[in-house]
Amino acid sequence: MIIENDGVDASRSPAFLSRMLQFGDSMFPIGAFAFSSGLESAIQEGVVTDAATLRAFARTALEQAARGDCIALIAGHRAATAGDVDTLVRIDTRVYARKLSDEARTMSVRMGKKFTEMGVEVVGAPLLHAWRECIETSITPGCYPIALAINFAVQDLPASQAFVVHQYGVATTILGAALRLMKVSHIETQKILYELTGQTDGMYATAAAARLSDMAGFAPLTEILAAIHTRAHVRLFMN
Amino acid sequence: MIPAAFPPWARAETLGASMPEFASFQDEPPQMSSGTVGKTGFLHLGFEHRSGKTILASLERRVPYMVQRALHCDEQMPGLAYVFLITTTGCLLQGDRLALDITLHPRAQAHLTSQSATKIHAMDANYAAQSQTIVLADDAYLEFLPEPVIPHRHSRFISDTQISVAPSATLLLSEIIQPGRKHHHPDECFGATVLSVSTAAARPDGRSLFAEKLVIEPRRYVMRQTGVMDCFDVFANVILCAPKDKADRIHERAGADINLADGVAFGACRLPNDAGLIFKVLGRETAQVKAKVREFWSVVREEVIGTALPPPYLWR
Repeated sequence: MIIENDGVDASRSPAFLSRMLQFGDSMFPIGAFAFSSGLESAIQEGVVTDAATLRAFARTALEQAARGDCIALIAGHRAATAGDVDTLVRIDTRVYARKLSDEARTMSVRMGKKFTEMGVEVVGAPLLHAWRECIETSITPGCYPIALAINFAVQDLPASQAFVVHQYGVATTILGAALRLMKVSHIETQKILYELTGQTDGMYATAAAARLSDMAGFAPLTEILAAIHTRAHVRLFMN
Repeated sequence: MIPAAFPPWARAETLGASMPEFASFQDEPPQMSSGTVGKTGFLHLGFEHRSGKTILASLERRVPYMVQRALHCDEQMPGLAYVFLITTTGCLLQGDRLALDITLHPRAQAHLTSQSATKIHAMDANYAAQSQTIVLADDAYLEFLPEPVIPHRHSRFISDTQISVAPSATLLLSEIIQPGRKHHHPDECFGATVLSVSTAAARPDGRSLFAEKLVIEPRRYVMRQTGVMDCFDVFANVILCAPKDKADRIHERAGADINLADGVAFGACRLPNDAGLIFKVLGRETAQVKAKVREFWSVVREEVIGTALPPPYLWR
């Protein structure tokens, strides 16, 4: 297992940082703006009503991602660094098998496929080509955390930065949707984001120490919100 | 029973040793240690379809697990084998290891339930573990609907269920988890130390269908948080493995809603790989949650078997 580039290397050149920003940008065209991660239903059902409940809802999403997808993200980064496609397929299949709602699966495989395709076009490493081939031939579902892990590994960007980008994406998807769905100001959403990203270190340490079989979670109301969203008549977002 | 090199309950004994959430609870109880007679229960139930009805064709047991006989008491499904799981100790204590092994042969139909709620007592050493394997052959039908689990303050419980289900078979598996004895003491509401509930299903050829691992650690993760338990107390997790056409019809009828005033929330999602559905219920009180699970169960019966449920027993 190669873990040398798991952590943050302080001597990284500014170019690496700008690449991380590019692929971690919420405007990166993988369609994240089309999803609300259950927030749309949460607002319609009165579960999220103000900045405080929005903060708690986003925090739940971050905790669930750190306990689940991010363990696979870090394991995927190690496998991608070793160029081990079979292990990547195995990890990806396990991530998919743990997405128990249609909309969570749709979001993950749609963003995963787009992220891989963008990587092929922009970065163009052989592993990215191989992974796109695996997705197109249905050898693997192509979930987002694995696509992100492979992209960062082939660019020599560390797993910790892939983790940061993943979690930043989880938070900004919800907070971006909140601006369009509820009465909340840009100042409030930025304050929430600032506060939530402050917990990244602890979450990364836990996820990096976990095994793939440790992927777990517990957020039943979020799952019920997903069930409600698939049935909603009026929908602005895809989940 | 003569203990083999690897007794069938070996899995229950090793389950908690490698789980990180149980790493700090490996000490042995000062009372009877884990794995001793009376602490490690085993139950194997094999159901077979013979001349129009399902019989309990094989039964192995080791205390505290016990089963007496299969009843054919469901007037709507006279061929259905109805079995009560009995634990003679009546509750789960630290160091307990339970292994349950259920096999339904082709076309067998069974209903499994427990006699009463399963209390998981407070613990100051070790943990309680439960390992379940459920194997459903072609056209088998199993309803496994035990009474709720009540985790007491400081309890530690690990459960792992491995399912093998044929594409034509149906499994309805429900688990209702109470927050604890919340009317007894305020600390009893979400007072458990750790509850870890894993479920994984595969086809008989080994193809993986889905996996879920719920880890409830109220001291690490806030239970009342928005999106987690919010204002609700009781949680039900209901897994339905069924052929796609039937699962789709059940999904259509299952509904989904959150009613904060009444304190009930429920909804069904389609499992990956066309495995079936997962139906989750949250409620303020157990009765509300049980009623919703029963509603879902009745839809499953109607769509899969074509019969109605018997009226509920007054005392259950």
